[in-house]
Formats: sequence, structure tokens, C-alpha cells
Amino acid sequence: MIEQTEHIEHTDAPENMKGKIWRTFWILLAFTVVDILLYFMLLSTHSMWKNALFILLGVVKAFYIVGIFMHMQFERKTLMYTIILPMIFVIFFIALMIIEGDFTLTSRL
Amino acid sequence: MDTITLSTEKKFTWGGGKSPFNVSYGKLMMWIFLLSDAFTFSSLLIAYGFIRTSFLSPIPNTTVKPFDHLSHTFVEDMVEKTKYFVQDHWPSPELVFNHFPFIHGIHLPLFFVSLMTFILIFSSVTMVLAVEAGHRMAKKEVSKYMLLTILGGAAFLGCQAWEWTTFIGEGARLFGNPYGPRSFAALFFIVTGFHGFHVFSGVVLNIITYVNVLKGTYEKRGHYEMVEKVGLYWHFVDLVWVFVFTFFYLL
Repeated sequence: MIEQTEHIEHTDAPENMKGKIWRTFWILLAFTVVDILLYFMLLSTHSMWKNALFILLGVVKAFYIVGIFMHMQFERKTLMYTIILPMIFVIFFIALMIIEGDFTLTSRL
Repeated sequence: MDTITLSTEKKFTWGGGKSPFNVSYGKLMMWIFLLSDAFTFSSLLIAYGFIRTSFLSPIPNTTVKPFDHLSHTFVEDMVEKTKYFVQDHWPSPELVFNHFPFIHGIHLPLFFVSLMTFILIFSSVTMVLAVEAGHRMAKKEVSKYMLLTILGGAAFLGCQAWEWTTFIGEGARLFGNPYGPRSFAALFFIVTGFHGFHVFSGVVLNIITYVNVLKGTYEKRGHYEMVEKVGLYWHFVDLVWVFVFTFFYLL
């Protein structure tokens, strides 16, 4: 008979997790401020590059939130790919539809 | 027997007998749920990206600068006199979201949403600190940080309620608004509403977990994994806000 005991599997958190958390907080804060500053600097320019830039900044922030806050950096690679691969396709889909919207605009004009 | 099982376990990750992902069932399922939830939000953001770019870009604003005086008839002026809000052009977010609670009559573009973003990021930090304290089985610290997270979430919900009230007060509805394209307000209400609902559910889950922490349920169980699972959900809500913020206020 195998005895049923509750066993929790988890990857150990690295040393100095608190420091890592606060560092991530400041990075996220800095990126948000950069986002807002860039928005006002590029207020009168409208191009696909501007859209791409802001989405890229969003992805960088997402990288920190998922990696450190959600502990993904310290998980197994199998779990990482399970979650991240589909999301890469989704981001590709968002980019495609933004470009498609531009074509819709030109066909309306 | 035992040694044989052990050696096969080492050889084959997927050979059975252990979790190939090295996480518990509950955490893995939370990840899978978050992935499916991310698909739902993505579909809304894809719709936003498509509709936004199929309209002309906002007319460059040259009349109103930050900290300028804001008249009571600001929106009407933008529609009739300066003609910034028209049907073919997407409205500039800085001219729509320019109010701040308790500060009337001053043009403060995107100040309030930036504050909301900071609140949500901060509550995410307190949540991850609660998870970290859970690893050390420090009940007092877990409950302290959980409480801070709940307060942050509640503050965010309050901010969003205020934002909606102001937006509706200026004439925005699900089926029409004074800012131009009808889909602008419709998308705003649907996407921020859907996100706000997630924040609300997150706060409810956090409160349940907080009560259980205080009761010592997890201490008896021997681990604070539930805090981690609720934490994953809470970070996801923050993650979605990063993209809602980018799409609605910056693009």
C-alpha cells in the first residue's frame, strides 16, 4: 500500500527574492513613466512604428510581471513553453489585425 | 523495486509517477485557466486594434496644454468650435481622459489613469511579497501583505468607478458618445468593464484567502500554496491592465 501524503512540488525561490521583487517594481514603474513620456513626445506622429513601439514596451513589462512576479523564470521549461508559445501567436495575431485595420481604412477613404 | 522506479523517473520526464511540469495540479490548472482567459482578453484587444486603426488617427492637438484651464463646456467646444472630436477621426485619449478627482477645471491628460496603473502595480508587488512570506511560513507577514493587496484592489476599483462616472457624465454611452466614433466608448466600456470584473473577482478571492490566512487554515495545511494560486490570478489581472493601458490610452 502506498501511503497518500500531500506533497507539494515547487521550484525553490532563489536567494534574495525580496530584492528581486523590489527591483522589478522599480523597473515596471520606470517603464510606465517612459510610456507616458513617449506618448506626449510622439503625440503628433502617427505611424505603425509608434504602435509597434508601445506594444513592444507592453511586452517588456509583461516579461517582468510573468517572469518575476508570476515566478515563471524559475519554473520548468516545459511549463514556460506551454504558456508562452500560444501567447506569441496571439501577439502575432494582434499585429496582423492592426495592419489589417490600416488596409480597411485605406479602402474606406 | 523502489530503486528501479527511481531510475526510470530520472530518465523519463513523462514516464509517469511525477509531475512533468514540477508544479502542483492546482497551480498548473491556474496557469491553463489564465492562458484561456488571456485568449478572451486578446480577442477584445484584437478587436480594439483593428477598429482603432480602421479610423483616421486623432487630429493633432495644438490648443490645450497640460495644466490649462478646463471649461465646463470642454467636450462641446471640442465638438463644435475646435472640431477635434469628429466622426471619421479616433479621439485623442489625452483630450478624453483629462479629469482628476477633487481637481476641477484643470486639463490633466492621463494623470488619473497613470495613478491607477501605479496602484495596480503596487498591489501586485504586495501580493508577490505575500507569496514570498508564505514560503517562509510567516503568517503575520502574509496577512499584512494580503490586506495591502486587497486595499490596492479596492482602490483601483474605486478609481475605475470614478472614471466611468465621469465618462458617462460627459455623455458617453454604449451606443454613442460625443467624441466621434461610436465604437470608441463601446470598446472602452466593454474592455475596461471586463477587466474591472476580473479585478472585482480577484479582490473577492483575495478576501477569502485573507480570512483563511487569519484563521490559520494554511498554517495547519503546512503550506501557503493557495496564496500563490490567487497571486497568479492577481498578477494576471495586472498584466492585462498593462495591455489595456497601452491600447486604450497610448495607441
